[in-house]
Amino acid sequence: MSGNKVRLNTEWLCDCGGCHVALVDLHEKMLEVLQSVEILKCPVLTDEKGYPEADIGIVTGSVRTEHDLVAVRAMREKCKIIIAFGTCAVYGGLHGAGLAHTREEIMDYVYRQSPTTKTDTIPHNSISALAKMVTPIDEVIEVDLYLPGCPPHAHYILQGLSSLINETTPRVQRETVCAACNRVMKKTDVTEIKSPSEGFADNETCFLSQGYICQGSVTLDRCLAPCPNHGIACSGCAGPTMQVLTEPTRDIRTEISDRMSRLTKIPYDTIKTHIEKSAKTHYAYAMATKMIGNKPTFLIQKWIAEGEVL
Amino acid sequence: MLEMTIHEKACRGCQLCLDVCPTDCFTFDEVTQKAQVAVVENCIECLSCSFICPSLAISHKNHHQVKNFYRNIEFSRRMEKFL
Repeated sequence: MSGNKVRLNTEWLCDCGGCHVALVDLHEKMLEVLQSVEILKCPVLTDEKGYPEADIGIVTGSVRTEHDLVAVRAMREKCKIIIAFGTCAVYGGLHGAGLAHTREEIMDYVYRQSPTTKTDTIPHNSISALAKMVTPIDEVIEVDLYLPGCPPHAHYILQGLSSLINETTPRVQRETVCAACNRVMKKTDVTEIKSPSEGFADNETCFLSQGYICQGSVTLDRCLAPCPNHGIACSGCAGPTMQVLTEPTRDIRTEISDRMSRLTKIPYDTIKTHIEKSAKTHYAYAMATKMIGNKPTFLIQKWIAEGEVL
Repeated sequence: MLEMTIHEKACRGCQLCLDVCPTDCFTFDEVTQKAQVAVVENCIECLSCSFICPSLAISHKNHHQVKNFYRNIEFSRRMEKFL
């Protein structure tokens, strides 16, 4: 891809828009990228309604509506390389947690029950209807590269994009959020799990050692650990580690319980049951992907079957 | 020859690798509060340390790889496409 500028398309499906903002987070490095990249379509920058031919296509968000389906297929047709960008595109993302509810429940809450909603009508023709499932894009089209993260940190975006442009091999890091966290993990005599709102966690010591549930050890580092380094336990927004994804016997709740029970005096089963009770929170980001949903240890398929007639 | 490395910056000092290693390959440096590979010759390549490490900071090179028949090949291949 040397010589002429690399043509870039980006498209925005069902997501919050944070991934496109993350591209702007490149700050002045954006100028470096723009020297070798020409942006043809970008919903927040260009007024391009069609899908021009491009070399790289960045797709953010998951497929939840008819529009998403048409858009993602058009992107595949026109772009040589498709990058599933951000947790929504790779795993289905946060709104995957909506799978634990029926579509009626979601529409009713958003348009009728929500405390900030004043209308009492559910729109019928002005927006695309919700599909039955939240679908990560690789179940609809062939994806060439994955960059999870909610959103991916500018460091990883630049690393990924520059290796694509310069045709070099990126250094793919498989380490977890713990690897970038500054807290010290030590063994303690804590006997009870604490809720995040309970007291103040010590800033020097690992959350798990203090009895707070933190998903850092089961989450791929595509963020450089801003949350645990600023006093907030990791919520797993970049999706599970490759270890959890590829090993059927290893799951988010078992991995956390294993490590936490060794660090504290809290029994393994207590932690596991605690996480199961708040599963929608802990599994939200990756619930919609079959990589997690098809695990023998995971019950999401059962929940969906109970709620929706597939 | 088997190589085992700990990414020092990623080590959180939890000592879980020392707990799980069946052949005591690791020592703990009290000054830096980090684990170190002491006797790599003892390693039986069980990879327990690699799996328990919260940071996934321990990596093995030149170890005998056993084919994991229960692994989902399709998903494992997707891992090769991660940026």
